Amino acid sequence: MKKLVPYIILIFLFIWHSMLFAQQRFPRPEFESGYTYPTNQLLNQRGPMWEYFDVAVLISALIVTTWLALKKRSRQGLIWMSVFSLAYFGFYRQGCICSVGSVQNVALALFNDGYAIPLSALLFFIIPLLFALAYGRVFCAGVCPLGAIQELTGFKPVKLPKTVEIILASVPFIYLALAVLFASTNSQFIICRYDPFIGIFRLDATYTLIIFGALLLLAGIFVNRPYCRYLCPYGVLLNVFSRYAGKHLTITPAECTNCRLCEETCPYDAIIPSDTDQNREEPEKSRKHFILYFLLIPVFAVSGAYILYSLAPSLAGVDSAVRLAREIRLEKETGIESLSKAVVAFKESGKTEIELFAEEEIIISRFRKASPWAGMFLGISLGIGMISLTIRSKRNEYKPHQGRCFSCGRCFKYCPIKVQTQNEA
Amino acid sequence: MKLKLNEKDISILKVISQVAGGFTLVVALTMIFSLVQLKTINPLDNPVLLSVKDQYDKDPANAAKAEQVRAMDLMARKAYFSSRWQVETGSYLLLAGAIILIFCQRLISDNEKLNPLLPGAKNDSSFQQKRNRRYLIATASVISLTAIVASFVLRNDLPDPSGQSGTSAKSEAKSKETAPKPDKTNFPFFRGQDSRGIAGGSGYPTEWDGVTGNNIEWKIEIPKQGQSSPVIWDDKIFITGAQDMECEVYCINKKTGDILWIGSAFNIPGEPEVLPKVDQDAGLAASTVATNGKEVCAVFANGNLICFDMNGKKKWAKNIGVPENSYGYSSSLMIYENLLLVQYDSEKKISLIGFDIETGDQKWETLRQGHPVWSSPVLAYFDGKPQLIINGNPKVSSYDPSTGKELWSVECMSNDVAPSVAVNNTMAYAVTDYAKLTAIKPGTGASIIWEDNTYTPDVSSPVANDEFLFISTGNGDVVCYNPEKGDTLWTHYFMDQFYASPIIADDMVYLLDRSGVMHIVKAKSEFQLVAESSLGESADCTPAFSDKKIYIRGKKNLYCISKN
Repeated sequence: MKKLVPYIILIFLFIWHSMLFAQQRFPRPEFESGYTYPTNQLLNQRGPMWEYFDVAVLISALIVTTWLALKKRSRQGLIWMSVFSLAYFGFYRQGCICSVGSVQNVALALFNDGYAIPLSALLFFIIPLLFALAYGRVFCAGVCPLGAIQELTGFKPVKLPKTVEIILASVPFIYLALAVLFASTNSQFIICRYDPFIGIFRLDATYTLIIFGALLLLAGIFVNRPYCRYLCPYGVLLNVFSRYAGKHLTITPAECTNCRLCEETCPYDAIIPSDTDQNREEPEKSRKHFILYFLLIPVFAVSGAYILYSLAPSLAGVDSAVRLAREIRLEKETGIESLSKAVVAFKESGKTEIELFAEEEIIISRFRKASPWAGMFLGISLGIGMISLTIRSKRNEYKPHQGRCFSCGRCFKYCPIKVQTQNEA
Repeated sequence: MKLKLNEKDISILKVISQVAGGFTLVVALTMIFSLVQLKTINPLDNPVLLSVKDQYDKDPANAAKAEQVRAMDLMARKAYFSSRWQVETGSYLLLAGAIILIFCQRLISDNEKLNPLLPGAKNDSSFQQKRNRRYLIATASVISLTAIVASFVLRNDLPDPSGQSGTSAKSEAKSKETAPKPDKTNFPFFRGQDSRGIAGGSGYPTEWDGVTGNNIEWKIEIPKQGQSSPVIWDDKIFITGAQDMECEVYCINKKTGDILWIGSAFNIPGEPEVLPKVDQDAGLAASTVATNGKEVCAVFANGNLICFDMNGKKKWAKNIGVPENSYGYSSSLMIYENLLLVQYDSEKKISLIGFDIETGDQKWETLRQGHPVWSSPVLAYFDGKPQLIINGNPKVSSYDPSTGKELWSVECMSNDVAPSVAVNNTMAYAVTDYAKLTAIKPGTGASIIWEDNTYTPDVSSPVANDEFLFISTGNGDVVCYNPEKGDTLWTHYFMDQFYASPIIADDMVYLLDRSGVMHIVKAKSEFQLVAESSLGESADCTPAFSDKKIYIRGKKNLYCISKN
């Protein structure tokens, strides 16, 4: 019965969560009786203390999750944490504030003097990374609301072919590069704008986003955590930090017997088998490959920089001012009057087209400056990825891949080794 | 503690989850349908409601109809909010169904027997690494290739701010024409280059006296009277005059004041046999000629349109019909590329006509809407494109000078419109007496940025640069505005009326009043009078500026003024 409690709480939270449809889509009726509408009541902004409370909740949740994953080794406990995080960070805080999106706040703050990053956003960015550096991706295990909703709905795991895994693994890097590029150029926060689950948390979003979120959850029933694996830009950073984790979750609580029972159990393909009985690539060949890819890193970096530099004007299209300028230009070329809200608002603003086009040029030149760096990041990431595929360390046991492992604890139950505590004995 | 379920429990859970799944699916589909309806259908656009409202608008005293409108409005709103309620309720049902489905499935999967796969032989990790490297390189190559192709495909649609070579950059550069800098020698149209009222060059005289001859280099009597202003190309001045039906074009040596040739512009086939009724002040020769250095063209109030080469040889002439209106015809000509542009204003028809300047063939005619006016076209450059702007009644309109196609218009004028517009690099300013001064942001969807009706000229045209807008009125007021915001920077009352249009030259504004006194003020945000110089005879024509000299047509004489 204890096992049902988290689900019952979740049901209550769903019911409690209410949806507001308070938009005015057409004029209010006029009353002849003299009735006057009350002044609009706006929600008060949350006080800063509540932001620190969120940070405190984040830290507490991370500590508890770490304890559950590393010490207690309780998959059930991690499900509990997922329910809590989904309820608090997802439905109560409506997906904001969020560590995934905080990447953009940090990027904007780094490249724009005029933006002062809120301390809470900075802490939401840094703290999960510090925990990843210490204990692996415990944030993904039970604290991230995006991960939690996928973890709870992923109950029929299917493994994807390795080819697909490799191809899709490059997407988060591209997403991260673009998200940082767009945020640093003060153009758009695409992570927040295209967060597939925000519509579910708030029960309000565009159709396409709600459908995208629903499809992702449906796919996630079989291909577990699709957003975390193939999209999450913050996951790229957690992946890197987690590789150097001082203490990481282990599959077995004691010494691995190489029984191979866990080998195919991880839906994320994050279990690295032992290789004591494996053929190894000839050291000379490995070394050559290593040197080749090492030397290719600058080539990849320059190529990436050039490609993104060439794409800069197109990428600048995410900026609303650039889109508006293009719309105005198209309107002038075709002679067909644009009726979009942005164009109508622009025409009423008193701003001239010359000013708009000048602004467009400034934004494009900003993209020209920033895009090569994003391309360079992608090139270097590719180079390092290639190098990592030439390095082999000797492994005597089955262990999680520290970068890819979400510390979800699915593998615990497949390990036949149990440790009895003194009390249990 | 683990919840143990037997096979019977599992099968019950499976049935529940299947029912929940089916329920969730049906609710989801219904909600999608309702949401699409809510987003696409506006309850107040209901055709029946609109029809009843229409009927009520025609008969507002009908109380029964008003009640019917209210009832239908209420019904439409109720229907809308019912749909909303259904969607809201549906969302909870959807959530409940989804939770039950997930809950059951989790229980089922948690209670499934642990059945770890017993894998066969281990994969060769060395081979896997090689394969992964290949996949990674292939993926990176495909993504890079796509990005490169995309960058080339999309490039054509984008402006190139770097100004580097490339198709788009070239076409952009070609299409982005800018207003030419006023020439220091040539003053080819009414109010100079592009008819903007800004003179090129510097070192123009500020002090003279027509009576004593101080700084008057030469002075000649124009054979026939007229209100047209002088225009200049190289060392030739062109001006028109008329007496009775005899209309003439005079070419005068700029240096000596000698008349080089007189081009007669009468006895042209189609011209009226009797003198058209025109205002005595205006006469037949009120329109200023236009020249491009190869041709000089003139138009008169009897409809005679004529074109000479620079040596006085007639190239072509025609009568375009008497522009009949209450004061006569006064719109000046404009030349753009190989087109002679005529603003034709008559009670019968108002239009803009483009003639081939070589042959006189009509290339196009654009009919304008509204009433006849007495303003002249002005060539402006907005958004890198040349536009011919006409101060009309009631619309200020912009036309493509090559095709005559209307680009935009703003309805803001009324009464008798005689002043032409003033333009700078961003805005156009239209004004006339008993109406208002209007600043217009040009472009598709042109709009009024600011208005002021405190000072309004009746004849004199305003003049603007990017910093200041100047107006001289028929009452003697001169006003300086902030052209961007419309703030009045200063005003000054000069006692005499202004008909001639002000010209900005050498950071000064030259304002010629009707008594022939030129008031010269600094073009700056505070009023500063530089000088006041008298011609000694009345003057209503706009002066021409060329090579440090000013040419003013008085009532009878043409003056050349220079610094000694």
